[in-house]
Amino acid sequence: MKENGAVDTKIRELVNDLQDFYLLSLRALLGLGRKPFYLRDVIDQMDYAGAGSLVIVLFVSLFIGMALSLQLSAELSILGLKMYTGRIVGLSIIREIGPVLTGMVFAGRVGSGIASELGSMILGHQVDTLRVFGVDPIKKLVTPRVLSAIVMVPALTIIGDAISLFGGYFIAVFVSHQSATVYWSSVREVFTLENVLSGFIKPFIFGYIIACISCYMGLSTRGGAIGLRRTTTKAVVMSFIMIIIADFVLTRLLLYVLGFSV
Amino acid sequence: MIVFDKVSFSYGKRQVLRDISFSIDARERMAILGGSGDGKTTILKLILGLLRPDSGKILIDGEDITDKSESALRKIRTKFSIVFQEGALFDSLNVKENVAFCLREYSRMSEEEIDQKVRELLRMVGLEEAMGLTPEELSGGMHRRVAIMRSLAAFDPKMLLYDEPTTGLDPVNADVICRLILDLARDEKGFIIVTHKVFDAMKVAQRFMFLRGGSIVLDGNKDQLIHSSVPEIQTYIRELNLNEVHTARS
Repeated sequence: MKENGAVDTKIRELVNDLQDFYLLSLRALLGLGRKPFYLRDVIDQMDYAGAGSLVIVLFVSLFIGMALSLQLSAELSILGLKMYTGRIVGLSIIREIGPVLTGMVFAGRVGSGIASELGSMILGHQVDTLRVFGVDPIKKLVTPRVLSAIVMVPALTIIGDAISLFGGYFIAVFVSHQSATVYWSSVREVFTLENVLSGFIKPFIFGYIIACISCYMGLSTRGGAIGLRRTTTKAVVMSFIMIIIADFVLTRLLLYVLGFSV
Repeated sequence: MIVFDKVSFSYGKRQVLRDISFSIDARERMAILGGSGDGKTTILKLILGLLRPDSGKILIDGEDITDKSESALRKIRTKFSIVFQEGALFDSLNVKENVAFCLREYSRMSEEEIDQKVRELLRMVGLEEAMGLTPEELSGGMHRRVAIMRSLAAFDPKMLLYDEPTTGLDPVNADVICRLILDLARDEKGFIIVTHKVFDAMKVAQRFMFLRGGSIVLDGNKDQLIHSSVPEIQTYIRELNLNEVHTARS
């Protein structure tokens, strides 16, 4: 009986947490259309999230592009299909790897930062102070972070994709000794509206997911430094898991909507 | 002004307040004493509607705030100002921006007028020169003084709430804060100070409430506090005596 009670409590807590999370996500989104707009907070967040993450995204994307090109060149040369390297690198990067990779880098750097910052604000009574001053913490703290993530993850993805393709080019031309013209024309073939759209919609959703999870985790911090460590870790882990799940769901959905047969 | 009627509150399974009842007039100068985790700060949060009680009623000026929505509570909260433990200044803003926070949020003052008002407030606590500093550059005492001025910048509260305002401060800085609390109470504004430093509470308050195990074990004046037979209170009084001896010597 006692065990049943504990399970009941756990289930009730989980349902409450989910309900609170969905409410926060919805209110953050609705906040985009309500005054005040806290423009300065949005710009600060964009600077931290976007400009601050750029170098890491560039670095990671360059090496992923190079590694991918290296792997494919090796495999495709066996089959005598080396000229398709650019096409497969481009397709993988634009539709799949670019958005997911940027999302993960963003979750690791910005998501953890958001969770720890908001968590510290909770523990230091700064969020309570906002409420006492009559300021809605979701409007003031969550909405700017969500907006910044929705704008910055796609922007970083586009830049990251370009750098990955350049990394792929570098390996294809200088290591695998392919023609630059063949590589770029092969890449150009995958720049169809369907592929670009597919790769461009995902980062918006990923940005929203990362910001909402990180803000929710940060704002539910309890229990001092240990609690802060727990929520920061949870924010990153949950963001990673949700990015992967959302990627699969979106891929299936986009393939269906854009008319690809599986 | 504030009425607690059989209020209970728990953090998860840990009950911190058990059926407590008391009332406070807006002009009273009250100290809530007790050990760590005895629910002192929880009482302040319940007054402001930042937490909701498990049972019982809380009335502010006759209005039951127990089931009020967040937007309805905003109006109630303007009747108070609170200074949380360690000040709770916004880390991302400097001293001027912290004090100007509510002015920018609610008033239609020009930037020049805001600057003037902030200077005026900071001058009162001797911190005009610290306007450009960030919270991490301030000492503990400066933190509290800025937080007190910030809480008074935009609203004209009926009552001031202080959460451990002198904790972690040296005796000189603690004394500065106590005098500031008394100064601000001069124009008939009451306050509630939550502290475990009975020596500081004695300097500013007239009424004392002592919490133990979630219940009120004493609610009375200075004499009743000093002559209480509750063992925990006697321990606090012994600390008080030591402080007085120390003060007399110095």
